[in-house]
Amino acid sequence: MDQITFILDVMVPAFESGLLMTLALVAVTAPIGLLIGIGVACGRVYGGKGLSWLMQLYAIFFRGCPLLLLLFILYFGLPSIGIVFTPFVASVLGFIFCNSAYNSEYIRGSIISIKEGQLIAAKALGMTRNQAIINIVLPQALRRSIPGISNEFIYLIKYSSLAYMITVIELTGASKLIATKYFAYNETFFAVALVYLALVTITTFGASALEKKFAIPG
Amino acid sequence: MDRKVGFIFLALFILFGVCLCGCTEKPAETPDAVTAPEATEAPVVNENPTYIVGIDGEYPPYSFINKNGEPEGFDVESVKWIADDMGFNVKIQAIAWDGIIPALQAGKIDMVYSGMTITDERKEVVNFSKAYWKVNQSVATHDDTGLTMEDFNAGKGKVGAQRGTTGGFWVEENLVNKSIITPDMLITYDNFPLVATDLQNKRIDFAIYDRPPMLDAIEGKPLHIIGEIDTGEEYGIAIRKTDTTLLETMNEGLDHLMASSKWDELKQKYEME
Repeated sequence: MDQITFILDVMVPAFESGLLMTLALVAVTAPIGLLIGIGVACGRVYGGKGLSWLMQLYAIFFRGCPLLLLLFILYFGLPSIGIVFTPFVASVLGFIFCNSAYNSEYIRGSIISIKEGQLIAAKALGMTRNQAIINIVLPQALRRSIPGISNEFIYLIKYSSLAYMITVIELTGASKLIATKYFAYNETFFAVALVYLALVTITTFGASALEKKFAIPG
Repeated sequence: MDRKVGFIFLALFILFGVCLCGCTEKPAETPDAVTAPEATEAPVVNENPTYIVGIDGEYPPYSFINKNGEPEGFDVESVKWIADDMGFNVKIQAIAWDGIIPALQAGKIDMVYSGMTITDERKEVVNFSKAYWKVNQSVATHDDTGLTMEDFNAGKGKVGAQRGTTGGFWVEENLVNKSIITPDMLITYDNFPLVATDLQNKRIDFAIYDRPPMLDAIEGKPLHIIGEIDTGEEYGIAIRKTDTTLLETMNEGLDHLMASSKWDELKQKYEME
């Protein structure tokens, strides 16, 4: 089989379905991971002692647990206590835990960077504490965490490849299958690296556009 | 201020350069370093060469890493015997199975002696020694399902296989390509213990693998073998195409081994027949 037919007949279709799966994993994980991240960060900064401690525990646990191990527990381990997830659900769950734990730290950092005085001023204007957090602090803090969150997003694109270990055939899994079947390791892995690079480059440009769009004037 | 930044960049650049040099100075293959790093190289009087043997670390009884972290098994003992017999040293190295042929091609290892089936596709990229073992594929299922070999052949269920194994290739050729099952009903895993775990979890209905390691993998689990597929596969030692002398050495070594009493001893020890 020559190079061109190999690329057109084998690589392209496999990468296409693999890419779709990777995008699906990222698309489901990223928004939920962000929302939970915001919640965890707010809980840590504004929550009472108990909640704050609980959120800290969440961040420590999921940042400390190796993702591959987490996926293995979710996929291979939980069935022994009767919880059986599909490969896709198990991967997305693992990614959400990991993604939100890291996001919460980026967001917490930018929440702390907003001066306490703003909260006090907002309350003086008659806002409740929650209103002040949602309308005054978070809009600024989230803008400041765009670089951190996009960093985590880029990382998510790449660690989504771990899903192949629990039988989700995403981009890396698809390329491994081709590589082992046709013994075309160099070509396949080089090509798949280019696809990841393209994804990450698009994300990078998207993130800087987002940053410009939401920049606070002055 | 600018000078400071410039200095930091320069420092980083130099650091990076040093790292690169460090990488290139170390060749991929340094078997000599293992035996005697401090010995001067002058008095090399035809010293025995050291070959690195790549194995699947989870392929009992042929090759596996035992509880003490040491390689063991039928193939591991065989290659050690041949090494003694033919006068060379071996270093056993466990490598991920789906990357073992590229490792061989890249010179990270010198042979694969780990129950590798001789196939035409593999023969295109590596040489094989003469066959030293015949083996069939076996199919297993969960004790609760009551599925039979007829169900397997009729495509009534999901099949799990280790990625890059002949069992998986058989299913692809005979069930997927003939549209008996859809492509997503063949699920591939990184190693066979994971396949066995998922079969136990009932996510898949069948598992396919070479018979001897299958027996080992399902032992003590609620799984049983429902049948065999007579594929007439044969195991051989894979060696780089360019290493023709090593191929001759191994073929001769295999002849000696299979004619010796050690061969029967090994078969008995690992309950091979």
